[in-house]
Amino acid sequence: MDSRASSKELVHKTCQEAFLYRDRRKVPDNVVTNIATQYGIKVDEAKKLLISLGALLKTAVFQGSTDPADLVGLFPSNFHKNMRDLLAKIMIENMSTWKLQAVNNQVSLPRMVDFDWRVDIKTSSDAIARMSVPTCILQMTVQDNPARVDTVPDMSSINVELSKETLDTMLDGLSKIRDQLSSVANR
Amino acid sequence: MSTLSFHFSKETPPDSLFSDMQTLNKFQDEQFSELAQFVFEFLTDPTKSTKLMSQLEDFAGQNGVSPGALKNVFKSLLSVPNSALKKSLTPEQIKEDLVNLGLGESKADNFSELWKVNLVSLSRSALGQTLMVNQLVDMEWKFGVTASSSELDKVGNTFLQLKLVINTGNGVKNSYMELTLPQFYSFLHEMEKAKASLEYLS
Repeated sequence: MDSRASSKELVHKTCQEAFLYRDRRKVPDNVVTNIATQYGIKVDEAKKLLISLGALLKTAVFQGSTDPADLVGLFPSNFHKNMRDLLAKIMIENMSTWKLQAVNNQVSLPRMVDFDWRVDIKTSSDAIARMSVPTCILQMTVQDNPARVDTVPDMSSINVELSKETLDTMLDGLSKIRDQLSSVANR
Repeated sequence: MSTLSFHFSKETPPDSLFSDMQTLNKFQDEQFSELAQFVFEFLTDPTKSTKLMSQLEDFAGQNGVSPGALKNVFKSLLSVPNSALKKSLTPEQIKEDLVNLGLGESKADNFSELWKVNLVSLSRSALGQTLMVNQLVDMEWKFGVTASSSELDKVGNTFLQLKLVINTGNGVKNSYMELTLPQFYSFLHEMEKAKASLEYLS
């Protein structure tokens, strides 16, 4: 595979790139040519290198083991021994970050990113000239599912107005969730 | 008469209002009291206009008056408490206005008595009708643990999914979102803060 690798740092860098582009059909050209020149190999070979390394890292993260014996088992038996150990070491070092990235990228409903609220007092309206009714406005920023894999997903805001009664009902629901969560945690 | 000033309206009311009050004076006190009841029932829940119409037709039939004329007179009678509600008039003020409009003393008394009784529910219903932008109608939730995914064999993350039903004004919109556990706790905490703030202000 990449037995021609000149330095450990270069392998580190290549691993990061391979993991980053593991799910992309098409890796950006400049990344591939960069690797080709760094290793002194052809562009086609560089592409192959990235794809196989990406698949390897993806499998390693899927299994999630940081036990060197498990990781060594991923390689073919005739694989260059020093390179195998170096790659296994890189995997162990990066496992927690890569796992976190994999969790963050997993399929999901639109994710809530942020929320803000404000409390207003309505002092007058078309129905009553003078009144004093507090109300709560809640804005939630939600990250939509991206339409394309290579684009940053759109953010959309959801604004709702809550009366005191609605907020009470909502908090009842949320407290119920909290109680359930803590009863699960205590089990 | 134009020199009189009214509590429920800054401008001088139209002549038809004065003449309709004279028409109302021809009713017996009991009949008037029944009409006044209709007024307050309708004001408390303005969505029930069909119920009001049938009540008025029954009333017209029982008392031998023309339904069309009764509806016009009723409209005038309704207009006074309707404006009075916006200005939160006291029972005394509304009685004064009715007497100034030419309504008999005993009928005006009866009406202001009903006004006193219904004032709380009337203003509550008016507050409920106050404009709300993107009102939250309902919330559904579920939570669980992700066991496995295509990326990771073993995951074990807690997720919480929310569905918010929002009345946007042109139809109801559903919004879905997923929260992580820390996000949920901070959301709950912030909402409790908002509630405390609402309670402090009301």
